[in-house]
Amino acid sequence: MTVLDPVLDALARYDGALASVDADRAVDLVEGLLDDGVDPVTVLVDVIASAQRTVGDRWQRGEWTVAEEHAATAVSVSATEAVARHVRRTPATRGRVVVACAEREWHALPAMIVGTALRANGWDITLLGASTPPVRLSQYLHDLGPDATAVSCSVLGALPTTRRFIEASTAAGIPVVVGGSAFGPDDHRAKALGATAWASGAREAVAAVRSLPTVVPAADPVNGSAAAEQAAMELAHHRLVTSLRERWSLAAQIVTTERLPLDSVHSVAADVVNQALHAVWAALLTDDPRALSHTAAWVADLLAARAVEPTLVGELGRLLARDLRDYPLARALVEHHWTATTGSR
Amino acid sequence: MAGPKSIAGTAPAAPPPLGAHTAHAPTEHQLLDQARQRASLAGEITSQLAGSLNLRRTILRLFALITPELADWAMLAMVDHRTGRVALHGGHDHTFATTVDRDRTEDLGVGRVLRSGQSELLHVALAPEGQTPTADGLDSMIPHDALRAEATALRPADVLGLALTARGTTVGMLVLVRGAGRGFPEDDVALAEQIAGRAAMALDSARLYEDRNRVASVLQASLRPPALPRVPGLRLAARFRAAAEHLDIGGDFYDVHGSERDWLLAIGDVCGKGVEAAVLTGRARQSIRTAAHFDRSPRGVLAALNAVLYEEESDKFVTAVCARVRPAPDSRTAEVDLAAAGHPAPLVLRADGTVEQVDVAGTVAGVLPEVGYQETTIALGPGDTMLMFTDGIYEARGPEGFYGLDRVIGLLPAYAGAGPEAVCEALEQDVVEHLGGRAHDDMALFAVACGR
Ligand code: B12
Repeated sequence: MTVLDPVLDALARYDGALASVDADRAVDLVEGLLDDGVDPVTVLVDVIASAQRTVGDRWQRGEWTVAEEHAATAVSVSATEAVARHVRRTPATRGRVVVACAEREWHALPAMIVGTALRANGWDITLLGASTPPVRLSQYLHDLGPDATAVSCSVLGALPTTRRFIEASTAAGIPVVVGGSAFGPDDHRAKALGATAWASGAREAVAAVRSLPTVVPAADPVNGSAAAEQAAMELAHHRLVTSLRERWSLAAQIVTTERLPLDSVHSVAADVVNQALHAVWAALLTDDPRALSHTAAWVADLLAARAVEPTLVGELGRLLARDLRDYPLARALVEHHWTATTGSR
Repeated sequence: MAGPKSIAGTAPAAPPPLGAHTAHAPTEHQLLDQARQRASLAGEITSQLAGSLNLRRTILRLFALITPELADWAMLAMVDHRTGRVALHGGHDHTFATTVDRDRTEDLGVGRVLRSGQSELLHVALAPEGQTPTADGLDSMIPHDALRAEATALRPADVLGLALTARGTTVGMLVLVRGAGRGFPEDDVALAEQIAGRAAMALDSARLYEDRNRVASVLQASLRPPALPRVPGLRLAARFRAAAEHLDIGGDFYDVHGSERDWLLAIGDVCGKGVEAAVLTGRARQSIRTAAHFDRSPRGVLAALNAVLYEEESDKFVTAVCARVRPAPDSRTAEVDLAAAGHPAPLVLRADGTVEQVDVAGTVAGVLPEVGYQETTIALGPGDTMLMFTDGIYEARGPEGFYGLDRVIGLLPAYAGAGPEAVCEALEQDVVEHLGGRAHDDMALFAVACGR
């Protein structure tokens, strides 16, 4: 316990630096910990990543706007860069890992954190940043011939493009390790998408990369008819979003108070509609209906925090099922798994 | 938290290995099984080896495919025409790689196979167990002590040295060893030859790609947007997305030069796209760097850029903004002198959320013999961010039309005080999402604020 205390204390102070968007303070703090001999991966996971989750909770509770989320994350990017500078002082002794986020994935920091943790353990890393097209990944894979590809995916909407990354990597025989919140709490989705390995966190990612096979066969095709429905829904996405936004009552409910400005509910409504459709994609592609039930619970939490009628969650599910009449598998998934109970959190 | 998990599938129970000596003559069923095994192996090799253009990955995959089905132990020797050495790969550890002098191989079986392009099946005469391990055939095929010791320990009867010939050239040799009790029947030699032919083609393609890539990546490295330096007194952030999405080079550029508390920031856009544009970009960047070395005033730098381009590139032009940024000793404020050559003027996001477009304009560089550029000076206060960008940003065209400068200006106020990194991140995301997957021009963002 006494060993952990300085880290817990640092976390509290780091949290303060994020809240006041003070990159200098965050960097000083992180550099101080590293100089005191705290393990770089501990700094990444138990300070930076941990504080980032608080950022997410603040957004979810409606305390912070997306802009504030960006601002705080930029501070964490600076702090992670400080860790990266520190770990680069020791030469890389293992092979190379290309770390990337597929298209539509804008959470670049988790990839950066995992990449830095790998670098701290001797892997040479190449970070490709947010939302990368598969053709760019392929180019890097052929040019560098890395030992592994690591793909970070935080949002459900990026699982289909993550699958493309898995195809790009395994077609070249390169094992691919995946992780991030879009995969949920276990390896089910990762397996369904054909990844070589999944890990729950940055520490576990280091262990996973170490035990990857040298060469893997090309990933098997994903479930045909479900994948076809997902692809069709993706093509029709714009239309589906527009229809849902027009008819869902939240769009009509103009809740505006000093604490809950109009724009926050508005933009949250857009995020929710998107997320709901993305959850259907994820459930189809990975054969994991939990993507839907978790998202329904997430929507319930989000709306509750913004003083919105709880019945709106169920209404969204019903509208969704109706709009998906041309997609029988998707529709059945929504009917059975969009359970509008309030969140468990 | 759950631990790491490997989720690779497990292979079904393997049939007896090809070439295994059996007490009885094989049954018809077994023969059929083996024939099937041979056909599927050859097919798999062809399709799987096509998956990578990277030489190292192709070699690793080849080993993964042929061991243990085709051989218990394999080694690859490839001639490196650049260095005149022979690269050896494989053995028990598939990732093992080393090189030996070509001279050392000339008089051995390796040298013969590489020169003649004729595969050889040699009998291995092993010294009796207990004596210094020697093995005639292996000595001839494996010109490396540790590798040879590995193969000897398997106590093989034969060693197969397969010539890898593709497109008229013998590019290497694949050495296959089967352990005691497993020989190379005729059918398997034929299969190995067939596989060698396919492997040779894949390896040669990868070799050609690697040769080209070596040249390209050196050139490309100098044309890529630079990693931003840590500048005392300033915070910098930048983004670049090339129109040719797989290349990290194009017609937009940004750069930073300077020292101490006097820095020149530049952003620009050359006419055209892709590699041709990138080459011109490289020249423009170099001109700016050289000019800034002598005189860091934006006006002087742009005048020099204009003169150089006009003389060298009659029909090419460049737009650019140069900003000389001098942070105060306390790093809270900075003075910024700006000049522009036909490039969109930067925006300044003040700490209070107001957005101003800097009043600066000038002629594109490279079309007129002599141009005088005007300079404007602004002050960056604590929490202010100056954003420079290229036209690819506001001209990004998605299903709902152009992104537009108004939308850039509209997005910024929410990011007051958030700093350059957050501004670039948010704007890049908004623009790319606006595109909705459509093609775009080169896009660059470059932002600066005061800070330690
Ligand atoms: C910062 C942030 C953003 C920033 C990201 C900026 C950046 N540069 O990264 C911005 C503002 C862009 C953003 C946008 C959005 N976000 Co956001 N975001 C976050 C936040 C607060 C932190 C993310 C983070 O940095 N976490 C720290 C990392 C290190 O932790 P981690 O992700 O859990 O990663 C660990 C493991 O998963 C694992 N891991 C991660 N990657 C990998 C990779 C490999 C290979 C392996 C092996 C392991 C591994 O190791 C990590 C360390 O131990 C999270 C909240 C949260 N709880 O994480 C929400 C969160 C991810 N966002 C969310 C949402 C909804 C959005 C938006 C839709 C709406 C919004 N809030 O703006 C958009 C969507 C953008 C898009 N399409 O990508 C939701 C996702 C909900 C869901 N279940 O899908 C979350 C969970 C917030 C919430 N509680 O609702 N977000």
